[in-house]
This record gives sequence, C-alpha cells and structure tokens, in this order.
Amino acid sequence: MTLAASQKDFMAQVLDEDHALPDGWSARHAAGLAIYRNNYRTSLVEALRSTYERTASYVCEEAFRQAAVHHLITHPPKSWTLDRAGDGFPDTLRELFKSDPEVAELGWLEAAMQRAFVAADAAPLDAAGFAGATALFTEDDWSAMQLAFLPGTALAPVEHDIPALWRAVDPDGESPSQADRLDAPMHLLVWREGLKPVFRLIDRSEGEAMAALLGGTSYGDACAMLVDRLGEEAAIAQAGAMLGRWLHDGLIESVSSPAARG
Amino acid sequence: MMNTISRFDGFGLGLRRTHYADFLDGDVPVDFVEVISENFMVDGGNPLRVLTQVREKLPVILHGVSMSIGSAHGLDCEYLRRLRALAERIEPLWVSDHLCWTRTSAHNSHDLLPMPYTEEALRLVCDNIDHAQEALGRAMLFENPSSYLTFPEDEMREWEFVAEMAKRSGCYLLLDVNNIYVSAHNHGFDASECLRALPHDRVRQIHLAGHTDGEIKIDTHDQPVCGGVWDLYREAVALAGPVATMIERDDGIPPLPELLDELDVARSIAAGTRSKVAA
Repeated sequence: MTLAASQKDFMAQVLDEDHALPDGWSARHAAGLAIYRNNYRTSLVEALRSTYERTASYVCEEAFRQAAVHHLITHPPKSWTLDRAGDGFPDTLRELFKSDPEVAELGWLEAAMQRAFVAADAAPLDAAGFAGATALFTEDDWSAMQLAFLPGTALAPVEHDIPALWRAVDPDGESPSQADRLDAPMHLLVWREGLKPVFRLIDRSEGEAMAALLGGTSYGDACAMLVDRLGEEAAIAQAGAMLGRWLHDGLIESVSSPAARG
Repeated sequence: MMNTISRFDGFGLGLRRTHYADFLDGDVPVDFVEVISENFMVDGGNPLRVLTQVREKLPVILHGVSMSIGSAHGLDCEYLRRLRALAERIEPLWVSDHLCWTRTSAHNSHDLLPMPYTEEALRLVCDNIDHAQEALGRAMLFENPSSYLTFPEDEMREWEFVAEMAKRSGCYLLLDVNNIYVSAHNHGFDASECLRALPHDRVRQIHLAGHTDGEIKIDTHDQPVCGGVWDLYREAVALAGPVATMIERDDGIPPLPELLDELDVARSIAAGTRSKVAA
C-alpha cells in the first residue's frame, strides 16, 4: 500500500470507529488508534463549543455534544483552520432542532460574531467621507451606486428575539428555556465596531434591501425593491433613513458607481 | 540554499488568550513568546492587534499545527500563503511545525497523526519541507511528535528518521523533550538513546510540557512538567547547548506566575548543566 493510500485508510479509521483495521494490526495498534480518534472528536467538539458557547448552554451540554458529533460525522472538516470546522453548523442545528427554530438563529449569530471578530480591518466611511465620495454623482451615478460594507458584515432573517436571548444566556450557567417570538419577522445584522463585533435587529424592508446590496445589487435597484414593498413616499424616507443609520453605525467601507467610472 | 537560523539562547512561554493582558500591560520576564500560528492566520481583528503589540515588546516564534508536512496529498498552498504573510508581518525568530500529517485531500483531522518511518515517507517529508521552505522563503524547524502507535512497515527508528530528515532537507529541529519521554514510554525505547542520536547541531529550540499518565501516555499539555522530563531536559541541554527553551501549556492553564516559576526551574537546570559542561 502506498503512503497516500495508507493515510487515506488511517483517516477513515479516525473518522469512523467501525472502519476495519488494516491487516497485521494488533490490539495495541487499535488502542493507539483509539487515542487519535478520541483526540479528533474531543478537540473538534470543543472547537464547536468554543464558537457556539451560548447555543451549547441554551440547548444543554449533552444535546449540544450530540449535535456537534452529528455535524462532524455529516460534515467532516476539510479546511486547515478550526474556525471553518463549524461551517454549516447552524444548518445542522436547524435540521436537528426543528421544533425550536431559535436554536439555529442563535447559532447563526454566534458564527457571524466569530467571523466578524477576525474579519479584515477597514475604516468605515463617515458622513463627511460619504458626502465627499458622492459629491460629483449624477442621478445615474446614484442609481448605479454600489455600497461596500465593512468586512464581516452579515445578516440573516430571524423570527425570534435573538438579541434578548443572547443577553439572557449565560455561557457558563443558567439559560432561559425559550425565546420570545417577534411580532413580525426581522433581520439580524452583525458587523464590527472597531475590534468588537456587535449586532442589532433591523426591520424586514431594511434587511431585504441590505441583503440585496451585500449581494451586489445597485442602490437604485435596492430602492426599487423598497418602493415595491412600501410605496414611493415611504420608500424614499426609508432609503434615506437607512443610509444615514449605516453611516452612523460605521457599516459602509466605501461607495462607488460604475456609471461614474464609465 | 535556504537561509540559516542562528541560535537564540532564551526562555519563553506560549502566548495564550488568558494571559494576553499580562503581556500587553506589563513586562513579563521572558525572552520570547511562542504562538500557535493558525490562531493568527486571520484577516484582521483583535488577535492580530494583540500579537503585533506583543511583538513590539518581545521576539515571537510562530509554531504551527496544520502544515501537515507528512501529508502524501501535498501541502495546502493557501495555508502557506497565509503563513508567509503572517511571518512577513511579525518577523518571527523562526517558524516551526510538527513531523506529522493532519490531512488528506478530502479531510482534516486537526490532530498530529503519526508517520510511518519508511524511506518512502522520508522522501515525501523532505520534498514537502523543500516546498514549504521555498514557499515561506525561510528555513523551518520541525518538532518530533508524541505518538501512540508505530507502524508494522517501519524501516527505521524515529531518531534515525529525524536525523536523516534534517540532513537531507536542511531543516532545523524543535526538540520536544516531553514528546520523547511520552513516545519512549509508549513504544519501549530508551529516551536517552534517542536524545543522543539526534543531530544536536540542528536543534534550535526545546519544548517542555506535561502529559497524562496511563498505559499509553498522552501528550496533553495540561499539567506541570514531570520529574522524568526535567531529567531528560538536563541531558538535552548538555547535548544541544544554548538554545531557546519554552514551556507549553494549552489546557488547565494556570496563572502566569505559576508558569514563570516553572520556567525558572528550566533556567536553573540549564545554567547548572552548562556550567558543568563548561567545567
């Protein structure tokens, strides 16, 4: 057997305790292999627990451990960084805790906070900077304007008051038994202020507009979405207000307009 | 030809999150700190800020756990690119990793998996070291691992493999005394014989750590250095001469003064041993 083949076989044994031992391996080999298998599982469950500490506390330790082990079996890590071992874990939580959808929402928030924590450093644009950047914009420039949000900015739709749940859960102690359902679906926005990841709830229209902008939609098209949802007068007010909030919160890194460049 | 790595005679600790404030706010009496490279191979944020500020005070060693130098499935180019960027930013004393493998092309175990000690594995490890040193633009140190099994197909002893690896690739060695102690127990070889057989002129750093006892000892880094490891350290210092020594603690991390007391034991042993050797 080549080294490549034997490493592939060894990895299969680390990942799956039912995988057959190679020919010629003894009980002593099996005992040594069991240590590697245990190290693998323990360190990765611990890595997930470290990122999802509030989720672990909310669902209780044993339920979290089972979910983490399930995730490692269905999504064995591929990346060199442990930070990526939890990729897709909120989806696993959604699948495993179907009757408690707030679990996946809380998990998403913890993952987004971790990503924002180590996102690239960037200086946010302030109101004066924004005014300078757009000073020569024509109407077409405004319509075609692209907003670049700070690295690490993320948002997701939620149906529960996840900020309240976040504050109520003690990673090392007591946790509430349930989360409050929001009156209407909203979006949860995560970004980084300086070195500190932060979050807040935003209403559905702002969330959908921001999701579109994060996906590369122009400001004009995002405003058109607002008009469809709110009507023209309210959409104009909402567009101005949300742009002002994003600048105030330091969410925007830069603006550009393909029309201005062309 | 890769650059050489000069000896650095000093005593250091691993920089762990629980001690960040101690290192940022005060003058911790160490000569260097070692960090786990991967924890800082990120795009930005507080970890890099902390490391940059600590680097302004102290020399830093980048110690990796995910290079997978023994992988028969090649090295990860993105990993090497990020490690090089970190090294260029931090300007470490040196960059090190382990003689092990962690990944196949499909999966990553995030554990230091054992190598068979065969000519095929030796050739592959040396090729990968060439690749890594070329990609990083610098020579590296590689650490002898703790291991919990040996392979039926082994053709040489661990120390023969390590010595030949250093000779063929030009890499340097990070001598983990606790790992020798653990592996000697687990595989029934003489730790002192292993120490004596290694190429001492290639050693640039010594690791000391605690382990968990049992029928198979496990390298857990969660308790103080034991007496047997201190005895072996005494032998290692006599053989390797003045090199960097550091204490690794990754779990059950005590307050900093406890680790500094333990580091003083290393200082005292090294001073005593060197004065005897000089005499």
